[in-house]
This record gives sequence, C-alpha cells and structure tokens, in this order.
Amino acid sequence: MTLPVKLSPIEHGFLRDLSASGSGWRAELREDLEARGLPHRRVEEWKWSDLKTALSRVESGQVPLTVSASREPDERRAPGDDDVMAGVMPRLAAALGGDASLYRLERQDDVLSLDIEANAGTGHTLIVVDVAPGISARLDERYAVTDASLANIAILVRLGSGARLERTIEQAGSDDGVLVVTSRIELGTEAGFKQTTLGFGARLARLETHVIHPGEGAKVSLAGSYLLSGKRHLDQTTLVHHTGPNGETRELFKGAAGDRARGVFQGKIAVDRAAQKTDAEMQHRGMLLSDGAEIDAKPELEIYADDVVCAHGNALGAIDDDALFYMRQRGMSETEARALLTESFLAEPLDAITDEVRRDDLLAKLRTALEALT
Amino acid sequence: MLKIKNLHARVEIEDAEDKPILKGVSLEVPLGEVHAVMGPNGSGKSTLSYVMTGREGYEVTDGSVEFNGEDLTTMEPEERAARGFFLSFQYPVEIPGVPTLTFLKEAANAQRKARGEEPISAPEFMKAARENAAKLGISNDMLKRPVNVGFSGGEKKRMEIFQALMLQPKFLILDETDSGLDIDALKVVAEGVNALRAPDRGMLVITHYQRLLDYLTPDKVHILSDGRIVKSGGPELAHELEREGYDKFTGEAA
Ligand SMILES: Nc1ncnc2c1ncn2[C@@H]1O[C@H](COP(=O)(O)OP(=O)(O)OP(=O)(O)O)[C@@H](O)[C@H]1O
Ligand SMILES: [Mg+2]
Repeated sequence: MTLPVKLSPIEHGFLRDLSASGSGWRAELREDLEARGLPHRRVEEWKWSDLKTALSRVESGQVPLTVSASREPDERRAPGDDDVMAGVMPRLAAALGGDASLYRLERQDDVLSLDIEANAGTGHTLIVVDVAPGISARLDERYAVTDASLANIAILVRLGSGARLERTIEQAGSDDGVLVVTSRIELGTEAGFKQTTLGFGARLARLETHVIHPGEGAKVSLAGSYLLSGKRHLDQTTLVHHTGPNGETRELFKGAAGDRARGVFQGKIAVDRAAQKTDAEMQHRGMLLSDGAEIDAKPELEIYADDVVCAHGNALGAIDDDALFYMRQRGMSETEARALLTESFLAEPLDAITDEVRRDDLLAKLRTALEALT
Repeated sequence: MLKIKNLHARVEIEDAEDKPILKGVSLEVPLGEVHAVMGPNGSGKSTLSYVMTGREGYEVTDGSVEFNGEDLTTMEPEERAARGFFLSFQYPVEIPGVPTLTFLKEAANAQRKARGEEPISAPEFMKAARENAAKLGISNDMLKRPVNVGFSGGEKKRMEIFQALMLQPKFLILDETDSGLDIDALKVVAEGVNALRAPDRGMLVITHYQRLLDYLTPDKVHILSDGRIVKSGGPELAHELEREGYDKFTGEAA
C-alpha cells in the first residue's frame, strides 16, 4: 500500500481548478494528481528534474500566459479527446488552459511564430498545429518565464503525408521561472520533421518531445544546444517511437553547464517489431565548465525489430587543455579561447537550421550568452 | 636577442612526484640568427619549447627566459605570443568547429590588441592569407576547414608555417616541423621558413635530420642531452651527428 502524498499548495490549487464533474481524461487527471501529485524525483521519468520541489516558490493561482503569435489561431475550441496526450503536465495544460488554439499551416512556406511569456502564478495552454499534406512550413517558438512562475504548455503537431515542418525552440534563461513544454509530433508517411532547440535553463525547464514516427520514408531530426549557468536547470527529454518500416531518425544534443547548473538529457528511441529497416542515431555530448556543474544523460534504445541500424552515444567532457594551450600560444586570452571552444562545440546542432536568418539569430544569442558567462 | 639562462624545469605528473627534465639549459639566439637544437628522443627538446612558451604543467625551478631584455619566465602563454613568440608544434592540435581563418584572425587581433595596435582589416587579412597560402601550396578548401581537423601529418606542419607567415612573429620555435613531410613538402616548408628570416627575427629549429638544415643553414647547432646543452658548434656539427650519432656527445659536457 502506498501512502497518500502530502499535496503542496500548488497541487491543491490545481485540484480546486479542475472541475469535480469532469469525466474521461479529466477525471483520470484528477485522480492521478490527488494520488501522486506533480512529478518529482522518485518518478522514473523525472528522476533528474524534481518539478514539485522546483515549484515550491511559485504562488498558487492561475495567471494566463502571454501568448503573442504571428497570427490569430484558425480556431479556438475546447480540447477534445484527440488533442490530449498522456502525462500529468500536458493534461493539466489541456484541462486548465481554456480553449485550445488551433493553427492550420496550409500554404507553402507558412511561418508561425509563438512567443510565450509568464511572470507570475501558474499558466497553461494547449496549442494544436496542423500541417497540410505536401506543405513545407516553419514553427518558431520562444519561451521566456521570469520571476517565480510556471508556464505549462502542451503542443500537438500533426503533419500530413509528405509535409515538412522545421521547428525551432528558443528557451530564454531564467533563474526563478519554471517551464514545461510537452510536445507530441504525429507524422504522416514521407513527412519530414526537424526540430532544433537552444536553451539556457531556468529554475527548472523541461522540453519534452514525443514523436510518433510511422516510418514509410518519414524523416525526423531532433537537435539541441544548451548553455547553463548559475543554478539553472534544463531537461531535454525525447521519445521517438518508430511504428512502421523504413523510418529515419537523427538526434544530436550538445550542452555545456557551468557554475552549479544542471543539464539533463533523456533520449529514447523505441522501435516496434513492425518498424524494420529503421535507421536511427542519437548522440548527446556534454561539457562541464566547472566542478560544481552536473550533466546527466540517459540515451536509450528499445528495439523489437531485427533488421535495423540503430546507434547511440553519450560523452561527457571538459575543455580540451591541448586546444586551450594551442590557442593561447597563438595569442588568444584564456577567456577568449574558452569562449571560442565552447561556442564551436555548441554551435554544431544549430548549424543544421535551414533558415539562415533564424540560424544566425540563435547563434548570436548563444554568443551573447557565452560572453556574459566569462 | 633570446637568452635562456640556466633553465631548470620539471614536469608536473598527476599522482606522482614532479620529474626534472631541463637541468640547466643555457642558450643565446641573437636576432637575425637561426639556431638548431638536436638531441636524442626524450632529451627535453619539446619540453624546452613548452617552457619557453609558458605551457601549464611545467614548473621552472631555476633560471630564466629573456627576450629582447624582458623576462618572460612567468608570463602567460598569450603574453609571450603578443611579444612575438611562435611555436610550430611537434603535434599540431585539431580544433573542431573553428575554421582556420577565423581562428587566425582572432589570434592576430588578440595579439594586436595586447600590443595596443589596431585590428587588422578584413581585406588586408584576406590578401595576406591568399598570398601566404599560395607560397605554401595550401588550397582555399584547406583554409576553410576547421583548424587541423582531418589534415595529414604533413599538411598540419605546412599549416603551422602558414600560421607563422600570417602572424609574423619575432621569434619562432620549430619543433620537428620537418618530420612527416615528404621531400617536396619539405622544400616548400623550408622556403616558407627562409622567407621568415629577417634581421629582427630569431629562430630555434628542433630537428632530428640534416635535410631541413641543408635548406636553412643554421648559424649554430646545439646538442641537447638529458636536459642540458652538451655541445654547441657551427653547421658542421649537424653533419658530424648525422655521420657518427649521439653517443660521442651524450657522455661529454659542453
Ligand atoms: N607530461 C609528462 N609526463 C611524464 N613525462 C613527461 C611528460 N612530458 C615529458 N615527459 C618526459 O620528459 C622527457 C622529455 O620529453 P620531450 O618531449 O621534451 O622529449 P623530446 O626531446 O622532445 O623527444 P622527441 O625527440 O621524441 O620529440 C621524456 O622522457 C618524456 O617522457
Ligand atoms: Mg619532441
């Protein structure tokens, strides 16, 4: 028998806000929250990111998120059963975020940008993005959570067959804010999805991405860079689930943590028995910039098909002393040399961004953050 | 003028006692001259180059390194670089993600800044890069690649001399720049080095072979053995070594 958990004021607040009359997933969410509370370090998927503790300084009470989008949603509607993903956080986003915003990307080269901010209380929202078959589109997101607040966002992206979406996520650094972005990407056959994140961490930030990969010529690329300082924490968790044959996945995450910051990478690629000829590769590389920093990584492959090429790698290092001396011998100061080495290490995942303007914008943000670090 | 006086240095080894490597090296290289240092494997030649350029992990326990009247012994590597010290590494380091020209421009401007000079203009820098690359038979493609990444041993040595031509140092230390070079490349590199000879510039050339010295004709040759200069002489000393080996000198004091 497990003892009932002691609920925090924030958890009590969420329970109050969830109407007691709900049925289906809403009722499940209520029960779940009542019995187990918010995710914390004794929940396997959250073992390195204790959300419950991180929220201790956030005031209970809903404050709507500030969402600035490049255009009005095509539809606002109550979240339907199809819009809801598994997990307490995305369900809370659906249940407490009011109407979901639905965007339909139907024109070639459509660009949707979403700028989401929070600075007090707790805010939730559910966003649905549908990309029409055969269309190439872009989704640029930016999250800024300041002061002691929680922004909890669920994003559901559906790509029609042959559709292409390039998604970029910029997570602005914050000492006190808490951010949870849970995404679920559903791909049609022959679709292409490419995601690149640049994150600077928060009191706790978790960018969790689930991809349902049908194989059948569909291609997925997940990439990310992170640079963490102070006591910031960033968790990037990915799950790519190959359900059909001939699918391709590439993941490259690189990060650096200084001071007493903490980076977390959890990457899982699951390959069903039906997903023969899957070609998947996942890499995480971390760099510790100080003794007090920590990077935890868990790359995982779960493969039930026998004819696949899957690989994963994880390496943790520090600045290369030989390179450092070489650069200083040529005249660079130690600070300059460190910044250049760190920048070149972290730039690689961002180099893959197709749009030059967006790529340069993120590279410039990375450089600015590096300069501030030293 | 470079003056190394009674230099003693130890290498710091993790979880073990420091190991003395240089045991009283004294050497003078006047500006405008090229001196060669030869010596058996493990005699301390690379260590000398690292101690001269201020690498961490080496402790100078006695003696000094002076350049043009200034004591460099305790300076940071970048301070020595700004004063014109350049080391062509025995094993040049690969720096992934940093294009060669970006690297060199940052280095050149860091040196200039330290000397209180204006940064080099982009066109001026590119012009010098094109000219120097042409001298050494370095392709445009090589310049665009990250520093030393994926280069063959010989290509790396050629790039070291390219870097020297770009940075125009006042004192060069070439640590076995000739090893790994094919016969044609050796000639090209030697011509590059000769182009750097100038009345206000000195060089210390560490080598195991006569061939590079045939091109450079050093003013003096020094033999380093077990952390000491055991013999100094004219260019003929290198020939003597080539004929007779080190045995004759390693027992003998300078
Ligand atoms: N970091 C280190 N740890 C332990 N021993 C070291 C270290 N660095 C140098 N040594 C030792 O110091 C001695 C001198 O090394 P050094 O590299 O200076 O020799 P060298 O004269 O350049 O030899 P070579 O001709 O092979 O290049 C060697 O015995 C070497 O093993
Ligand atoms: Mg050596």
